[in-house]
Amino acid sequence: MLKIDKDLCIGCGICEDQCAFGAISVVDGKAEVGDTCTLCGACVEACDVGALSIVDVEKSLQMDLGDWTGVWVFCEFRKGGLATVSLELLGVGRKLADQRGVTLSAVLMGYNTAETAAKLISHGADIVYRIDNPALEHFTDDIYGEIMTALIQEHKPEIVLAGATAIGRSFIPGVATTLNTGLTADCTKLEIRTKDGALLQTRPAFGGNIMATIECPSTRPQMATVRPRVMKALSIDEERVGKVVDITPTPDQLKSRVQVIESVDAQGYKVNIQESDILVSGGRGLDNDKGFDLLRQLAATLNADVSASRAAVDAGWIPYPHQVGQTGKTVAPKLYIACGISGAIQHVAGMQSADTIVAINRDKNAPIFDVADFGLVGDLYEIIPKLIAKIEEQRGA
Amino acid sequence: MNIIVCVKQVPDAKDVRLDPKTNTLAREGVQSIMNPYDQHAVEEAVRIKEVLGGEVTVLTMGPPQAEAVLRQAISCGADHGVLVSDRAFAGADTWATSYTLGKAITSLGNFDLVLCGKQAIDGDTAQVGPGLAMRLGVPFVTCVQKVRQADETSLVVERMMDDGYDVIKIACPALLTVVKDVNEPRVPSLKGTMKAKKAAIRTLNATDIKAESASIGLPGSPTQVVKVFPPEPRGERCVLTGTIDEQVEQLVAKLRPYLV
Repeated sequence: MLKIDKDLCIGCGICEDQCAFGAISVVDGKAEVGDTCTLCGACVEACDVGALSIVDVEKSLQMDLGDWTGVWVFCEFRKGGLATVSLELLGVGRKLADQRGVTLSAVLMGYNTAETAAKLISHGADIVYRIDNPALEHFTDDIYGEIMTALIQEHKPEIVLAGATAIGRSFIPGVATTLNTGLTADCTKLEIRTKDGALLQTRPAFGGNIMATIECPSTRPQMATVRPRVMKALSIDEERVGKVVDITPTPDQLKSRVQVIESVDAQGYKVNIQESDILVSGGRGLDNDKGFDLLRQLAATLNADVSASRAAVDAGWIPYPHQVGQTGKTVAPKLYIACGISGAIQHVAGMQSADTIVAINRDKNAPIFDVADFGLVGDLYEIIPKLIAKIEEQRGA
Repeated sequence: MNIIVCVKQVPDAKDVRLDPKTNTLAREGVQSIMNPYDQHAVEEAVRIKEVLGGEVTVLTMGPPQAEAVLRQAISCGADHGVLVSDRAFAGADTWATSYTLGKAITSLGNFDLVLCGKQAIDGDTAQVGPGLAMRLGVPFVTCVQKVRQADETSLVVERMMDDGYDVIKIACPALLTVVKDVNEPRVPSLKGTMKAKKAAIRTLNATDIKAESASIGLPGSPTQVVKVFPPEPRGERCVLTGTIDEQVEQLVAKLRPYLV
């Protein structure tokens, strides 16, 4: 329940402005809460006079938390390769485990994983639970989910992390549901609260317009998916010692109600734009699909990948997997160059976490300039060739 | 084929923006819309029904005013609308939401297929779809970009992956979450709009769906928001000045760290 202390409320309306759900309105000089309140707490933080509070509610799901110990990381292995986010998870997992004084374990699932387990140890894992089986060659939610759930039930780790990838975001929610515990999606920061050792999980919400810190107070494990490219992997240490435990799945665990008929790699240009360091992104202002040829030239000069706004995707200039924004992908590259993108909020929601944003647009009033660190006003067909030439000149120098 | 589509009413992102000076949310009269991904789920359900027959029921959990998105779905070809609404549901996280939706769907009877949008644009978690599949005990596929074949017993779909796509056969009953690429939602017809106006919306509360009070709303949610705060402010923004050549020169100087 959101409680409003009418004696303290001064009717200033700050809470009304803060509420993303339109749930608060000031009536006769006092705040009132409506049906659309989600108890997110944004108003409580914003209130200058302390008139708002969320009344503490006892969680009905309770577990004996002391039974659970250790930090676990799910390591994604597909088509002969380890997802880079796995090493990033080991990096942050190591920190959390050291702070808690517990072991860090990696769960490696896949087929023909070869020397991958040793690589995970040299990147920070104390134990690797390895499930290497032909049934894991393709990803299926039910097989991965069954095995992961059973392992967690057996070993009872206090924290379980996975990458916020297509695979992690798909099967981990099912695992958390079955385990009757909480899961926080797309975390960008993880830390241990000193007083009680709880995992504090911070994530952007509402397209990055607000940040929320979330805890899982009374159930275990504390589970989170973590955005790729946010955490730092440890540098490799070949001397590090760890243990590999091979797990044989039961026949029941390998039964699937879904069948992967075929796995098709994207043709042409890289589509996993969430793992790119630099993105060159095009929008309506390109005027036609030929514009992307120019953007690809710039991308090649910068060792970058190409992405797009919804307008360019809807126009058929570039396929949907390249779309950045609220109905596409959320990206956080080191450098994002927006070319001919006006900067609608739906687009900005997907890229405002980039370290540096450059905007090239002929309309000096385009909202993209509000989020850009560096803006260039002019015709992109004039600017980009000059930019390519200048960068090549620098490189040559 | 009996299809259930889960939809959510969300604040329209157009009305929400970050004030660049104060770094807080600035809004002018928030309008509510149907979550964009859910519009594609409704469209896909109607398309499957048009080929295979059967009925499409749209279901939403939310406050009484969320009825508007059910009527919108009916105007686009859905047959029935069910509003799952109770003050006791407030503050539900994805665990409690999937529980509540699961109970509601079970109370409606048999189904062959459940469709959801990939995620809602307010929370962006993408957790309710998979969680709901576990509650219902059915297999699921997330991020479906194309339904290649559908009949009463199974579907063949393309699921978007980070490196391309997988082609998957899944037995019914099943649950799918869809992305934008799956179809182009239709514009409501005049007839559809008239039908939506007159449609009777069924409302179910916690008692109707036999939900345990310990598993709903804030008390039934394993996660808890500790605090909400604005993101770290970005550095100074600057629009470069001068001729195109001068602007390019300045930009390349600024980008030097990236030119390794």
